[in-house]
Amino acid sequence: MNLTPKSIFGESPKRIFGEGWIDALPAMVILALTVAFLIVGYRYPPLARQFPITVAWVILALAGLDIASRIDSPIGAALKDRLDRGGSVAEKIGSRRAQVGAVVWLAGFAVLLWLFGVLYAVPLYVFASLRLRGHRPWLRCLLGAAASTAIVWLLFSAALRIELYRGIIFGGA
Amino acid sequence: MFVGLFFGAIPGLGGATALALLIPLTYGLDAFTALALAGGVMGGVPMGGSITAILLNAPGTAPSAATCLDGHPMARQGKAGLAIGAAASANAIGGIIGTISVLAILPIAKELVLLFGPPELFLLAVVGLVVVATASRGRMLRSLIAGGLGLMMSFVGYNDLTAVQRFTLGIPYLWDGVRVVPALIGLFAVAEMINLSVRGGAICDDPKTVQINSMMNGLLETFRHWRTVVRGSLIGTVVGAIPGVGGTVASFLSYSMAMQASKDPDSFGKGNIDGVIAPEAAINAKDCSCLIPTLAFGIPSGAEMAVFLGILILHGLQPGPLMLIDHQVEIYGLIWALTASCVLASFVGLLFVRPLAMLTLLDSQILVPIVTAVALVGSYAIDRSIENVLLTAFFGILGYAMIRFEYPRLSMVVALVLGSTAERNFHQTMMMGDGNPFIFFNRTVCRVLIVLLIVLLVSPWLRGFAGNRRARILATQGSSR
Repeated sequence: MNLTPKSIFGESPKRIFGEGWIDALPAMVILALTVAFLIVGYRYPPLARQFPITVAWVILALAGLDIASRIDSPIGAALKDRLDRGGSVAEKIGSRRAQVGAVVWLAGFAVLLWLFGVLYAVPLYVFASLRLRGHRPWLRCLLGAAASTAIVWLLFSAALRIELYRGIIFGGA
Repeated sequence: MFVGLFFGAIPGLGGATALALLIPLTYGLDAFTALALAGGVMGGVPMGGSITAILLNAPGTAPSAATCLDGHPMARQGKAGLAIGAAASANAIGGIIGTISVLAILPIAKELVLLFGPPELFLLAVVGLVVVATASRGRMLRSLIAGGLGLMMSFVGYNDLTAVQRFTLGIPYLWDGVRVVPALIGLFAVAEMINLSVRGGAICDDPKTVQINSMMNGLLETFRHWRTVVRGSLIGTVVGAIPGVGGTVASFLSYSMAMQASKDPDSFGKGNIDGVIAPEAAINAKDCSCLIPTLAFGIPSGAEMAVFLGILILHGLQPGPLMLIDHQVEIYGLIWALTASCVLASFVGLLFVRPLAMLTLLDSQILVPIVTAVALVGSYAIDRSIENVLLTAFFGILGYAMIRFEYPRLSMVVALVLGSTAERNFHQTMMMGDGNPFIFFNRTVCRVLIVLLIVLLVSPWLRGFAGNRRARILATQGSSR
């Protein structure tokens, strides 16, 4: 399946939101999540849903305003000026590839922990990270992996007597 | 104190774990010594939490997350020494002011705490949310949305009022709701590590700018910003004394109030020293005052105080109004141990500024995997739950997305903490008033809080109106010349 912004939104999002179309994505995701939250929320008894539903309707309106303020038009600009002038934190954003890569590495580590447990996942992750991302020499990567595993073991297992998670593969629950 | 400092510095552990591990050690001690030992541990935790919050953006404890917001940007600008120096002195002064306030309040503590019922607690939660939303000038819409998302997440789990499991997606782990500490580790520590690995380099943007020796200036800065210290300490004392509210609210509320009061609010989040001093003063002041509901009513303000209750009961001390009268020696011993530990922990923290600040020069390729590993394992260690790790990773990614798209994480955290409190107290209020919302106007503290709420909501508009008027006058004067 060809997942391009055009295939998702029909009309080119650039035409609606201008060059900063990607900045409108979070508001759209929030809008979709809030709709899902409302659908689920209405299944609960009146007292249980009263507060969450009220909040969700407010968020729906705010997310709608957020999207409207990002539309490349005089109304969008006016809304943005009134409600959300920006005030950038001036972060260096980095390439999209670097962003996706960093997120995938974290998700991969969490999955490794879940599957193999702390004592296997930590050295594997640190070694792979130092070697593949940091391009460090083999020996340094091995030392780094061993040292970080030792730190984790000493801190949590030896000092705090916390039984480290063994991983779903090795019988961890 | 050293135990507290150590536990405070490790993300996910904090005072509750330290105290829990301490319980067996207090078996052979008399009540006075056991309470003094507990006070020593509790006093050391905030400083430990602040050090990692400033250097690594990894709050050791939940309240320290507020220190991340400006402490870490300062570290990135090479001002780690200045930030830690300011945090240490704000910690110590906050602790002392908190102690003085508690000693003054103690004789009337019972009457004060009883002033806060469900209507007041609901309004207090709303005030907390509004303070944060209105403080994010220029990003108010996104701040409100982030706060709303935090509220929506706070509704996840078992609702004790209606006995309904809500929004759990069939996942048993979520029956207890979204756990705040793993979420905070994700939103701050892990998100920062993702950000750092995307940016590359070291925590400090320019290694040449590192000023490790500036911690003495940090100490002096706290005295120069004495208003922030006093305001933060008083907020910490008041919020800490309210049962069930906790230190996270105190620190974030203090931060937001400092931002509201600042002449340069736009510099908050970019390394404003007031953003370090305000939460630090509140955290330690709160540590003293949260003893009041714990001792006087047996109502803990958080996990740390809940474990502390266990120590009290273990040593035959039954919390309740009578305890304030019957066990004064132990209580005063505890308060002084807590204060001495706060001050001592600040000095010890300062001794280690130099080696710790060098962490900001470490290459991200080395730092990121190690800190991520410790953060995720620390999250697991909170209650030995692998689901905590997955939650932390989720919030790490969410936190990074919030950094990337400039949605304030502050609002989300405060809403996440206050959401369930607000809902529970709202429903209880409605029950008290038979569904009549006018119950809010019949109570003195409620009326004060409503006025405060109106002031908070109106003041940004008035300030904006005044600013525009000033700009128009200046423009007219400029054109007439």
